[in-house]
Amino acid sequence: MNAEICLSCHDIERYLGEEEERVHALRGVSLALAPGSIHAVVGPSGCGKSTLLYILGLLDPPDAGQVSIDSEPVSHLSDDAMAHKRSRFIGFIFQFHFLMEDFTAQENVMIPMRRLGQLSDDEMRERAADLLQAMGLGDKLRRPSRHLSGGEQQRVAIARALANDPRVILADEPTGNLDTANSERAFELLQNIVQQGGKALLLATHNPVIAEACDWIHEMKDGRITASHPRGRGKFDFLSRSNAEARLN
Amino acid sequence: MTPPLYIALRFLTHRKRALLLSLSGVVFGVAIFICTQAQTEGFARHFIDSTIGSNGALVIKSRFRPRYEPLMVSSKTSNGKAPRRLYFEGITDANEIMRVSRQFSNVVSCSPVLRGTVSARAGFENSTVDLYGIEPVLHAQTTDLLHQLIAGNFDDFRNNTSAIIIGSRLAEILQAGIGDTVQLLSPNGEYWRFTVAAIARAGVGSIDATRVYSHARIAQTLLQRPFGASMIIYKLRDPDRAPALARHFETLFQHGASSWQEREESTLQLFLTLRMSAAITVSLIILLAGFGIFNVLTMSVLAKIKEIAILRSMGYRRTDISWIFLWQGALIAGAGSLLGCLLGAIMTWGVSHIPIRIRGLLYSDYFLVTWEWRHYVFATLLAILAVFIASYVPARRAAELPPVATIRGAR
Repeated sequence: MNAEICLSCHDIERYLGEEEERVHALRGVSLALAPGSIHAVVGPSGCGKSTLLYILGLLDPPDAGQVSIDSEPVSHLSDDAMAHKRSRFIGFIFQFHFLMEDFTAQENVMIPMRRLGQLSDDEMRERAADLLQAMGLGDKLRRPSRHLSGGEQQRVAIARALANDPRVILADEPTGNLDTANSERAFELLQNIVQQGGKALLLATHNPVIAEACDWIHEMKDGRITASHPRGRGKFDFLSRSNAEARLN
Repeated sequence: MTPPLYIALRFLTHRKRALLLSLSGVVFGVAIFICTQAQTEGFARHFIDSTIGSNGALVIKSRFRPRYEPLMVSSKTSNGKAPRRLYFEGITDANEIMRVSRQFSNVVSCSPVLRGTVSARAGFENSTVDLYGIEPVLHAQTTDLLHQLIAGNFDDFRNNTSAIIIGSRLAEILQAGIGDTVQLLSPNGEYWRFTVAAIARAGVGSIDATRVYSHARIAQTLLQRPFGASMIIYKLRDPDRAPALARHFETLFQHGASSWQEREESTLQLFLTLRMSAAITVSLIILLAGFGIFNVLTMSVLAKIKEIAILRSMGYRRTDISWIFLWQGALIAGAGSLLGCLLGAIMTWGVSHIPIRIRGLLYSDYFLVTWEWRHYVFATLLAILAVFIASYVPARRAAELPPVATIRGAR
């Protein structure tokens, strides 16, 4: 396996549900992310995009196959060890920002740092302030998260995902809940972070504009990656078919 | 501050109504527990102090008769119990026994007493009394008699062989005051005249209603006894060790010996039953508080299900999630116990100032309470245990929540 690969999965199988409702959600999916690259996973709802992200993010165990971080297999690790890997190497961004309502914007960004425990309280506070400043929220550090607008909340969520300086960012429809202007702004922020920080970004999206701006596009259907193309090459059925609808997101 | 404690504090303080509900349950449970225990033990402690102060912590009585074991094997119908112990009445070598027993480190002082039951008369009033013939100085050293005097003068009694000290309730019954004459009826039918030099209040109804103290030599003559003492009473440094010393004295002196615990067993059992009953009742309040906390924390887990999932995605372990809810319970238990102890102390102080006229087994004009650190420790431990049990189940449930299912459900 390529030494440059920071996160990969190989032949991932995943079933969801029980008995009659059991669904084969992922069928032999393999993927590799290199630092400094942005990958988009596209496909219709229910095709397994989010399931793949959760498995790559060590939140959900695969039924078969292997996930590796820096070429080191991690699927066999204990729950605590996987939690530590998640804390150190992976940043999550969700469609619904999932901020902690009882905390301010700055405190939300500090929560992952507290778990990792590598910085002092003042250092954490300073880093959170810097991250929020970079997101254009320098004047709203102490504002309770519930008092921020949708776009601001998602930018806090991005800052939180970057709190522990992770190698990989996994974003599940990060702009799905934002208007066009905020979508573009959030994606630009992510692009800058990946390019400047040498991180890998994998995002699941329905937005063709965002997908087209990524370095790699992986098309999924029925739990399989049916096609993987670098930017500007290939023709995507999904994009041409649902272009008009997807832009509404 | 650990991350789970930091998050637990924030979760708690942002749900003020739930926090107040949980906290008040623990505070009142702990406070009522402390207050009721202080009262029930207060009455018991007063009784114990009064009875030890009047009758001593240990008493040596008559000498055993030598027991001759039967040479024949007992019949099959016999129940196997030891035969009843027989005694020679009185103590003939009281001074020698006292001299030896003073060598024991637990013995502070001892005093011989000649005890008998006689009839007393003052004016037109009669009563059967418990006459204690005492050596005034020795008795004053061994008992709390000096502190029990509510009228008269001990020196007037000590310096006058025809003077007596009578119990406060007996003084009321006989309508006798200081300087009045009380007549005691000797076994030969002759009335002996005594002057009341002082009135004593032990605080125990049975003592105050019957007790008369006279000089030992006068009592011996009045009761027509061949011996100068029918018992020796002891003041001990550690009254709790009285039963062991009593057993030792029985073996050593071949006289019957009984500790205050044995002597007052039935009354002590009554107090213990009352304390247990109160403790059980109040423990139920604390358990109910625990049930309330269980509900609050369970609701909190349901309300924070999304936050739990996001924390897991940020690398928080299952144990961290458990600790967030266990810490909430611990903070409620800690703060609740502290405030409960404070409120319990205030309530106990308040109760001790409630005027109440008790004239029966005990004598008191106020609620009797005791200030015992063990009550505070026990109430705190009980609260911590109840809250831990109440928070363990929600904490475990929170830790086992699958984060992916929550995140999927929120879409």
